[in-house]
Amino acid sequence: MSVTKRIMSVRGSLILYGVFVVAAWLASMGYHFQQWSAQEPASTTVYLLYAAVTTAGFTGWWYLIRQIQGFKETSPARKLWTLLIEGGVLMVIAGTVTRFGRISAPGLDLGIGFDLDTGVALTFPTIVKMGIVSLALVTFSFLLLQRLRSLILVKRSRSSERNWKLLLGLMIISSATTLFMQPGAEQNEWQNVALVIVAVLMVVNAFRLSWIVFLNFKEKLATLGLILLLGLFILFSLGTGFEANFGMVPRGLEFLENYFMPLATFAQQTAVFGMIYCLTSFLSLLFHLPTSGDFEQRAGERATMHTLAALVGQVFDADRLFATIAASPVEAGSADASWLVMPDPDTGTLRQHIVAAHNLSPDQIEQFMDCSELVDILSEDTDGFLIREAAADHRLNVHTGDRLGSLFVVPLVARDERIGALFATKSVVNGFERDDIETISIFAAQASVAIDNARLFEQQVEKERLSRELSIAREVQRKLLPQQAPTLRGTSMAASSVPAQEVGGDYYDFVQLGDERYGVIIADVSGKGTSAAFYMAEMQGIFQSVSRLASSPSEFLHHANLALAQSLDRNVFISAIYGILDLKKETFTIARAGHCPAAAVRLGGESRLIRTPGLGLGLDRGDLFRKSLVEEHIDLAPGDVFVLYTDGVVESRDSSGEEYGYDRLLEIVDEYRHDDAEGIHAAILRDLRRFLSAEDYDDDMTLVVLKWHGLPLEILTGSEDVLTEST
Amino acid sequence: MSNFSVGFRSSGAVQILDLQGELDAHTAAELEAAIQKCQKDNRVHILVNGANLMYISSAGLGVFMAYIEEVRESGGDIKIAALQPKVFNVFDLLGFPMLFDIIETEEGAVAKFSAPTSD
Repeated sequence: MSVTKRIMSVRGSLILYGVFVVAAWLASMGYHFQQWSAQEPASTTVYLLYAAVTTAGFTGWWYLIRQIQGFKETSPARKLWTLLIEGGVLMVIAGTVTRFGRISAPGLDLGIGFDLDTGVALTFPTIVKMGIVSLALVTFSFLLLQRLRSLILVKRSRSSERNWKLLLGLMIISSATTLFMQPGAEQNEWQNVALVIVAVLMVVNAFRLSWIVFLNFKEKLATLGLILLLGLFILFSLGTGFEANFGMVPRGLEFLENYFMPLATFAQQTAVFGMIYCLTSFLSLLFHLPTSGDFEQRAGERATMHTLAALVGQVFDADRLFATIAASPVEAGSADASWLVMPDPDTGTLRQHIVAAHNLSPDQIEQFMDCSELVDILSEDTDGFLIREAAADHRLNVHTGDRLGSLFVVPLVARDERIGALFATKSVVNGFERDDIETISIFAAQASVAIDNARLFEQQVEKERLSRELSIAREVQRKLLPQQAPTLRGTSMAASSVPAQEVGGDYYDFVQLGDERYGVIIADVSGKGTSAAFYMAEMQGIFQSVSRLASSPSEFLHHANLALAQSLDRNVFISAIYGILDLKKETFTIARAGHCPAAAVRLGGESRLIRTPGLGLGLDRGDLFRKSLVEEHIDLAPGDVFVLYTDGVVESRDSSGEEYGYDRLLEIVDEYRHDDAEGIHAAILRDLRRFLSAEDYDDDMTLVVLKWHGLPLEILTGSEDVLTEST
Repeated sequence: MSNFSVGFRSSGAVQILDLQGELDAHTAAELEAAIQKCQKDNRVHILVNGANLMYISSAGLGVFMAYIEEVRESGGDIKIAALQPKVFNVFDLLGFPMLFDIIETEEGAVAKFSAPTSD
């Protein structure tokens, strides 16, 4: 909640407090007026009533001041400074009022205008002066006490809180004992004992000086001055026995005593405590000045550690991360210059180079030393090493007078792998102390985690990007395959292809070559994955453009081989079977280029593998390929089934390592040979799945089933318009 | 992890590579490295013994294709011997016997290196 909002929410109660305080003050003034007009002291009962109202009023005032101040979180110097300003304003007001209409007679002390015996004011202005001066002095002492409270309770503990409350309580009690005392009267023995206890507690509280530790050198110096000023200010405003003659408000305390004795005692004790606290603070600040550098280093280490820890969480701008890491030893005050070396991930070399430097340019560093060589020395030594005197070390090219006296190198290690090294230098010889080395080592460990995180994140992003790309590729490849097998009269066809990875090298396709001639191809690019997928796409292009121009399967394969020779890598080849179905002649002509033999099963159950000779596409780029091809002509008989497949089908292995094999394939085709192509296709896949007992394929698997049912009678009699096809 | 290994042996001028295990897309690099080493040592009469080769994939076959031209140009050859029937079938389906000397026994293959080449 913001400060303003909190003030708003308590504003109502503050106004209430304010009204109450003003009313109590006016009531107390009324009491004094009454005494003045009667010119005799009020009765004890009235006095007690007055004491109660005044105490309540000033207690309210105390809380009011505390409420208003409580919201401000400021530095000690600022607290002291505002206190001085506020006190100054109050004292100027009070001082002006006391100097106004002073009763004086040469050589005669007439006091400040009260009857010396009864304590009743002699004139009306005296009462007004008394009211204003008292309010000013009490307000200042309240402000002082509360500011001191906020300093004393820095890094509070249970005991410090208790001591503070004890002091405040005892000050109130000891003030209350002066309720019936006359102004200027001596305190009795009991009161003196109480004062000793109060003094002891003041001293105890005066050593609560933790706030000093958090100041840097400049702040300490400024605070030192302000504390001195405050001490003097207290002395000249509330200092008993001093203010009467030299004070800013001459005899102000006397007015306060006449107003309400316990308040005067309280203000005096506050002043004493304020001066004690100023004294201890002053001395402590003075003694801490020389060591403030060390404290600042600690604070710097903490801040730097915090920055690094935050980086571990967010990162992901590598350059910023490197710069922060490189700067950390300097920022923590543990080094004068520092830099980070890492192998260049782009070139892939292990040679270390400077990725970020602080206070020295990479060029300067390289003149001084070969960082990569120094890192090599590190290899066995995971704790890092220290060169105490750089100029005397043969590995460094440093001379006396170069601002490089000592060097510390610590490796960055993430998951047992050295990912770089952090270098730190000091301009003086023997500059690194134990704690510097520890600090830098901790930074190195922290930095390693940060860099490792950043890398993992980067890898993850890259992985996700690749996986998106691959799923796009898969979609594209799926579209290169026919969406459904064509339906031809007298024939049924079914086909499917499952890549082992996102994309694969298997291909099948159908093409209408002309009147009642249809081509069917199956091909398998060697290897798997992305590279195979690219060649598969090329094969698709060649098939779609060349197949219509080729009159026979072997002629197409020959042209395809020539076209592929341009682009196929030497270790890549494509096996294929191309068949042409002629519905008019009722023939199926088939040529095999290194592919798994087609399975053929006839109506009667005779099954065989069509294994005509033929090299794989791309294995020979000359005439040998063409010569190797042998076509087979098959006169179709109704019930003929042909199954084209890739090696992923027959080479599928079950958990024991056994291959599915040709025999099993022929058997299942034979068993379902009376079904149409769809049924046979489904039966083979079912059998394969049962055999594998897993949905996990090692290789791309493609299956094309073609069945010749024979032409219906009406086609044989010439009504050719019934023949339809769709792709 | 890898269930494939290449052993090196010599028989006179012939460098024999004993393949063991399964040669596929993952393990192909090992055979590549082996053949490259032979080339570097200028031992280009390479005989691949497949007696313990249990499986070969198309990517494995690709390795032979990748180097045969270079090896022959430098006056050597890659011959393949003692293949298991199932593995031989894979070579045979693709027509490798038309491109490579594939011999039944290692001895026969070694002898063939010393005999004058007919093709």
